[in-house]
Amino acid sequence: MPSPPPGLSERDFQAALRELEGVVGREWLFATDEDVLLYRDGYSPLWGEADERFASAAVAPSSVEQVQGIVKVANQYGLPLYPISTGRNLTYGGAAPAYSGSVVVDLKRMNRILDVSARDKTCLVEPGVSYFDLYRHLRTNKIPLWIDTADPGWGGLMGNALDRGGGYTDIEFRDHFDAHCGMEVVLPTGEVVRTGMGASPQAKTWQLFKYGLGPWVDGIFSQSNFGIVTKMGFWLMEEPQAALQVSVTVPKRRDVVPLVDTLHSLMCAHTVPSQVTVASPLMAGNNPELVRLRGSGGASDADWDRFAANAGGAPFWAATFVYYGPSKVIAAQWEHTKERLAGIAGVGFRETASYKFPLTDEQAEAVADKARYGIPSLNLFGSRTAPNAPPLEGHMDFSPMIPPHGEELIALTDYTGKVYADQGFTPSFVAGMMFHPRTMICFHAVPTFRNAADNARTRKLFETMVRGCTERGWPIYRIHPVFQKLGMEMFGRDNGSLHRLHETLKDAIDPNGIVSPGRYDIWPKRLRGTQA
Amino acid sequence: MKCIAAVALFLTGTAAAQDAPFPIAAWSRTTAAAETQGSPVERGAAVFNNWCSACHSRGPQNAPGTASLQAKYQGSVPAALEDRRDLTPEVVKVFVRNGVAMMAPFRKTEVSDGDLEALAAYLARPR
Repeated sequence: MPSPPPGLSERDFQAALRELEGVVGREWLFATDEDVLLYRDGYSPLWGEADERFASAAVAPSSVEQVQGIVKVANQYGLPLYPISTGRNLTYGGAAPAYSGSVVVDLKRMNRILDVSARDKTCLVEPGVSYFDLYRHLRTNKIPLWIDTADPGWGGLMGNALDRGGGYTDIEFRDHFDAHCGMEVVLPTGEVVRTGMGASPQAKTWQLFKYGLGPWVDGIFSQSNFGIVTKMGFWLMEEPQAALQVSVTVPKRRDVVPLVDTLHSLMCAHTVPSQVTVASPLMAGNNPELVRLRGSGGASDADWDRFAANAGGAPFWAATFVYYGPSKVIAAQWEHTKERLAGIAGVGFRETASYKFPLTDEQAEAVADKARYGIPSLNLFGSRTAPNAPPLEGHMDFSPMIPPHGEELIALTDYTGKVYADQGFTPSFVAGMMFHPRTMICFHAVPTFRNAADNARTRKLFETMVRGCTERGWPIYRIHPVFQKLGMEMFGRDNGSLHRLHETLKDAIDPNGIVSPGRYDIWPKRLRGTQA
Repeated sequence: MKCIAAVALFLTGTAAAQDAPFPIAAWSRTTAAAETQGSPVERGAAVFNNWCSACHSRGPQNAPGTASLQAKYQGSVPAALEDRRDLTPEVVKVFVRNGVAMMAPFRKTEVSDGDLEALAAYLARPR
């Protein structure tokens, strides 16, 4: 039997569970060890250790009214709740709570697509709706709109947006929080709030205009714990006539500077509409000399270019992106892009895929780079490459954000490669991902394990990079719950005034401190200072 | 505002009687087999399509789980779960509820106990 939350007696915990059962029905309250373990973080960096985060129970409502009922019980007993949407945010904590002992509010059953407007190109969904769900709905009903999907298609639109995740299509859609328009929130007091135009009862523009009247509060419900979001509207992309995926390659290490500068300019001018990935085909691989260079922390451009000259012609950098729109416009955009980049000696231009829409099912199935066309999949998953190789067991994403400057990308890869090498990890190459036109996110898939010794090494690596990257001006944009305290410390200027503001809001909005204590290190007054 | 009911399955029951029952399209890979009708095997086939096929279809181009099992077993057993003849209902349930390697466990709000029974019946069905 799972333990009650800290500070709650077994008797009160059992009484609270009985009341929760009354709200959702016996089938949807999970309080046995076997059931509660299904909410374990399968990729936890604390797997099997005393500090691993565990739920005490889980409850799965099917309606806003049931969410309100759960909140009422939680206030009555001081029961900490931890809402999840689809619970598949695997590299950032999965379905496990930030604060051990919380009751997970599993919103997966709230999976209705409440509205899709082909005319207005919007949708309104509940928390349990996955990218697969909405994609299927659009395909089944032949609605010529695209979703913008996160890499794993079983993720939820709402959860990914609230954690400020991203995708690959046009900028208006791939910043998933920015692409939302209007939300409904059950506040910790049980009150229901609709934001933006949704607060005006007869408004016809809830999913069309974000701000409404007065302060725009939507932002406080992302990466936070100020309420349980039960509906969100999103803008959807009109299916384009065509798309062209291209690759631009450059031969030398320092060529990444004009390459990224130019692509940044083209993105800001809306000539390049999609996410841009700047990777190094040359730096990937396990050649011992390559691994040594990656981990050296300071190999010169000349060192790298010498290696490149003997590497069989692999380009040093390759930028991948997609144009969407009428074929004639795409041709002009691509031509302009080539003109702007032609000054880089040795630059190469390649068209890697082109499509006319709509695709048949067979054509959609054959698309290699699905997320760039709003097609959900799980293609990123995969654990084994050889019969005797140890399978990958999990990872956390370490996600520093840098300016869109090639020299910053070089400096970051030099730094993190050396940290990896110094701490006994194989330095992996990291791409610059321009989800936002004005920044690059450089994801590092930091491995997690099912044993404490290896996870201790992982945690040390992770913490070293969080601190080191912050010192260099590259703080992270998102972080696993186990490291959210550390992450918020990195945003601690002015003696932590931003964090204090968060907790001031927490006290006002959630006086009993029941919703997701500790998420993004925002603690309610009753628990403040109790965590190491 | 029009209201659209929760997703309804589009799979037909007759497909499960075939050896290669589902021409899986990417867009059919989705969630929530809650309202499936038909026999346990038919229901299990639908659960497989909803929850497993995005990783474990016959691919392996769009099936990383199949690719991983191919790497692990090197063809000594079929890499695609639907082609295995050695799976028992118990084995299926253990993997779904415990996960393995990168595959995290599936919760009961995703694959209910009833759906899991059906899935196990489908993958372990006599052929």
